Amino acid sequence: MVEETRPVDQHVGELLSGFVDGELTQQERQRVTLHCDRCGDCRQSLAELRALRERIGKSRLSEVGDDEWRETMNETTVQTTRGIGWLLFIAGILAVAGVGLYGFIVEPGMPIWMKLILVAIYAGLALLLVSVLRQRLIERKTDKYKDVEI
Amino acid sequence: MKNDEMREELVQLGNGAHALATQITGNADDAADAVHDAFANALRKPAAYDANKGPLKPWFMHVVRNRCIDLIRRRRPGDVEVEELSDPGAGPESSLEIAQRDQELQLALAKLSSGQRQVIVLRDYMDLSYAEIADVLEVANGTVMSRLHRARLALREELTRHG
Repeated sequence: MVEETRPVDQHVGELLSGFVDGELTQQERQRVTLHCDRCGDCRQSLAELRALRERIGKSRLSEVGDDEWRETMNETTVQTTRGIGWLLFIAGILAVAGVGLYGFIVEPGMPIWMKLILVAIYAGLALLLVSVLRQRLIERKTDKYKDVEI
Repeated sequence: MKNDEMREELVQLGNGAHALATQITGNADDAADAVHDAFANALRKPAAYDANKGPLKPWFMHVVRNRCIDLIRRRRPGDVEVEELSDPGAGPESSLEIAQRDQELQLALAKLSSGQRQVIVLRDYMDLSYAEIADVLEVANGTVMSRLHRARLALREELTRHG
C-alpha cells in the first residue's frame, strides 16, 4: 500500500525564498507556515535564507562613493557637450570649405592647370589628415596599454 | 522627471548598478565603464524613461545590463574577464572583518553562474521585486522565484564550504 503524503508534509522548496521576500499569496504563505511548524529542515533553511539575504543586503559589493558617481556623470555631460561642439565646428568648417571650393572652381581669372595643381595639393593634405586620423582611431580602439601611465 | 532629479536618483543607484555590472562583466573596471555608458545613455535621452511605467531603478538596471552585454560582445579573445579580488587592506579591525566577510561573499558569488549572480544582486542587494527582476532579466515572472531560490542555495553551499 502506497502511503500518501499530505500537502502540509511536502517540502515547500522555492516557496521558502518567496516567503522570505514577501512575494507569496496568502494561501502560499499559510502553506509555508504550516509546513515549517512541522518540518525542522525547512525551518532551518528558512532561517538560513533570511540570514543570507540580510548578509547580502548589508554587504558592500561596490565601494564607489556617491561623489565619484557624480563626477562620472559630470564627465558624461562634458563629453556630450564636447561632442556637440565638435559636430557644430566640423559642420561649420565643411560649409565654409564648400563655399570656398565652389568660388575657386568658378573663378574665371585662374588658368585650369593652376586650379589642378592647387586641388592636388589640398587633396593630398586632406588624404594625409584622414589617414593619420584613421590610424589614431584604430590605435585607440586596439591599444591595450593606452591607459598605462608612466 | 526633471533632469536634476533624475541625476540625483541615478547617483544613488550608482553602487547597485556597479555591483550588478561587476557580476555580469566579472571585472570592476569594465563594470564602471558600463555604468558610465548607462549614465550617458540615460542623460542623453531622459525621455526614454517613462515614470508611468514604473520606478527608475529597474529601468536603469535594464539599461546597465544591456550595456554590460554590449561590452562583453565587444571583448576580444584574451581580454581579462575575471578580476582577482583585491586584498581587503589594513584599517580598523572591525572594517577589516567586514571587508573579509564581503570578500568571502564575493568569492562565493564568483562560483555561481552569471544568471544566478545577477538575480541575487537584483533581489538581495538592490531590493527589486520579482516583477521588476523579471523585467530587467527579460524572463517570465514565474521564473524569478525558482531561479533565485536555486541561486541562494548554491551561494549558501559555497559559503558553507569555504566559511
